[in-house]
Amino acid sequence: MSVEVKNVTKKFGSFIALDNVNLKVESGELVALLGPSGSGKTTLLRTIAGLEFPDPGTAQILFYGEDVTLIPASERKAGFAFQHYALFRHMSVFENIAFGLRVRPKTTRPPEDEIRQRVNKLLQLIQLEPLAKRYPSQLSGGQRQRVALARALAVEPKVLLLDEPFGALDAKVRKELRRWLRQLHDEIHITTLFVTHDQEEALEVSDRVAILRAGKIEQIGSPEEIYDNPASPFVYDFLGNVNLFSGRVHEGSVIIGDTEFSVPETAGETETSTVAFVRPHDIRITREANGDKTFAALVVRSNAAGPVANLELARVNGGVQFTAQLSKEEFQQLQLKTGERVFVELKNVKVFNEDFSI
Amino acid sequence: MTPVATTLHLPRAGTQRRSTSEPPWVRWLLITIALLFLTLFLFVPLIAVFAQGLNKGIGFYLKTLSDPLAWSAIKLTLIAAGISVPLNCVFGVCAAWAIAKFDFRGKNILLTLIDLPFSISPVISGMIYVLVFGAQGWLGLYMNADKPWFPWLAQWLNVHDFHIIFAVPGIVLATIFVTFPFVARELIPLMQAQGRTEEEAARVLGASGWQTFWRVTLPNIKWGLIYGVVLCNARAMGEFGAVSVVSGHIRGETNTIPLHVEILYNEYNFTGAFAVASVLAFLALITLALKLWAERKNAALHAASQ
Repeated sequence: MSVEVKNVTKKFGSFIALDNVNLKVESGELVALLGPSGSGKTTLLRTIAGLEFPDPGTAQILFYGEDVTLIPASERKAGFAFQHYALFRHMSVFENIAFGLRVRPKTTRPPEDEIRQRVNKLLQLIQLEPLAKRYPSQLSGGQRQRVALARALAVEPKVLLLDEPFGALDAKVRKELRRWLRQLHDEIHITTLFVTHDQEEALEVSDRVAILRAGKIEQIGSPEEIYDNPASPFVYDFLGNVNLFSGRVHEGSVIIGDTEFSVPETAGETETSTVAFVRPHDIRITREANGDKTFAALVVRSNAAGPVANLELARVNGGVQFTAQLSKEEFQQLQLKTGERVFVELKNVKVFNEDFSI
Repeated sequence: MTPVATTLHLPRAGTQRRSTSEPPWVRWLLITIALLFLTLFLFVPLIAVFAQGLNKGIGFYLKTLSDPLAWSAIKLTLIAAGISVPLNCVFGVCAAWAIAKFDFRGKNILLTLIDLPFSISPVISGMIYVLVFGAQGWLGLYMNADKPWFPWLAQWLNVHDFHIIFAVPGIVLATIFVTFPFVARELIPLMQAQGRTEEEAARVLGASGWQTFWRVTLPNIKWGLIYGVVLCNARAMGEFGAVSVVSGHIRGETNTIPLHVEILYNEYNFTGAFAVASVLAFLALITLALKLWAERKNAALHAASQ
């Protein structure tokens, strides 16, 4: 266990940023803290780094079993990359990376040529050797982020903490850099936590994802686990687009209108009204009705730009609108036109017992 | 080919017209008024100071300046500025660092206190020092008390005939008070704009508070600090009101340059007064040049960081 967070609560005035958070990170793991803004993910990361301190109480933060709750940031040996990089603007790229080694007390400071060697090695790792003498203002956003990472890695941290590492970059650089981060992690295997509000990023890069909501960890698990088995309507909604259908639970299935869809996990429950969650790509569209397994809907709008086709539909019975996602081929085969009547089948219907609000 | 040349010139005229929509005569009138105002209130007085000072020839000018009384006034001014500017530099950096980089109770009160010397008349600040440190004030009461606290201190003060008011320490104190806000006021907005993340980054990388200050904070505020120090110095050398109250006008002992100018002027020695004043004016011009230089460096640094 490399990082352990126990019972951490943090209030700013009357605002509860972290509400009794518990988190365990295995060593060498890459964990994403995912949540909407204000969910406490950055505060949690800063608390682990020692830039914020948890409210006094039973709170504990452990690095490899060692209690660091009261140890200041400068002695925690955590590497931290800030959202806007926070590079030292008056220092060259080289000096930025060397900073963490140069400020060490004389007894533990490596000699000058070792510092040079280590910085050059890191420059190699981030593929910015030719830019060692540049200043941060002369770099692009992606380059700055890589320098920030190298600077954090230079002190050989026990854990690497990244605050929205790709937040301020444009879409293309973002994708490149996140693939690079994954590769880097596979190479050096340093325990890493990173904060993001982008679910796609979290699901693609990390080994495990922790989803935060209002200062609490709502669910934690591997990307597949949380995507396939979201623990709450909030997680379900946060991980992708969702359609809501109100209906009734009845003996292992959900009845929407007059149509019955099987939802095995509701077996044993009877006659309670509920809300069924369905992803747009789990909706099948046909021209022909399939007995009581489908319901009728009208095509409101269609958009086939991009790799998939998005359809907006309205139920004939009640007029509730929802969206469906089809592959391009399916869409072309069906040849749908606005206003046409189609039949809809729902797959992987999900029902939550708790409150239905998202 | 001429038509081509004409079309090339046209867009330029167009942009000019767009940026200033007023007719030419309005523009020229406004510019003339501004220039006249500047000439009348800035250039003419500045030139007049030097012209009046040199009125009776360079010989008289040098004689006035080499007068022991004038010389002692110049020395005292340099001493007062030499003590108060470094102290205010340290106070200012401390205050700005605390205000810009940390959150604490009473931050607004501290901000208000820093502005106090700007908001009250210098004469009143002088009076406060007389009240507190004068022979009839609290210091006098303490030195003459029958049973003072810390008798050794009262004895030491009496033996050395220690005075603050009508003596050099009073002048230094008054100067410090009046020039207190300059450095802090210059640095607070600058440091607030720079934020705390660079300091946080330094901390996480293992730097101590002291290392963070010397290696990260100070280099970032260097030019702003120099600018503040230059302004502070200008005011320290030119301060009249507060210093006048605490000085006692003892010639050759407690006169600063501004006070010496006043004395000469009151004795109808106009040329002498202007000659000494020209020294201050000259120092002010140097200050302005330094200020311009620091401003440019600061602007360049800011442009580079964006």
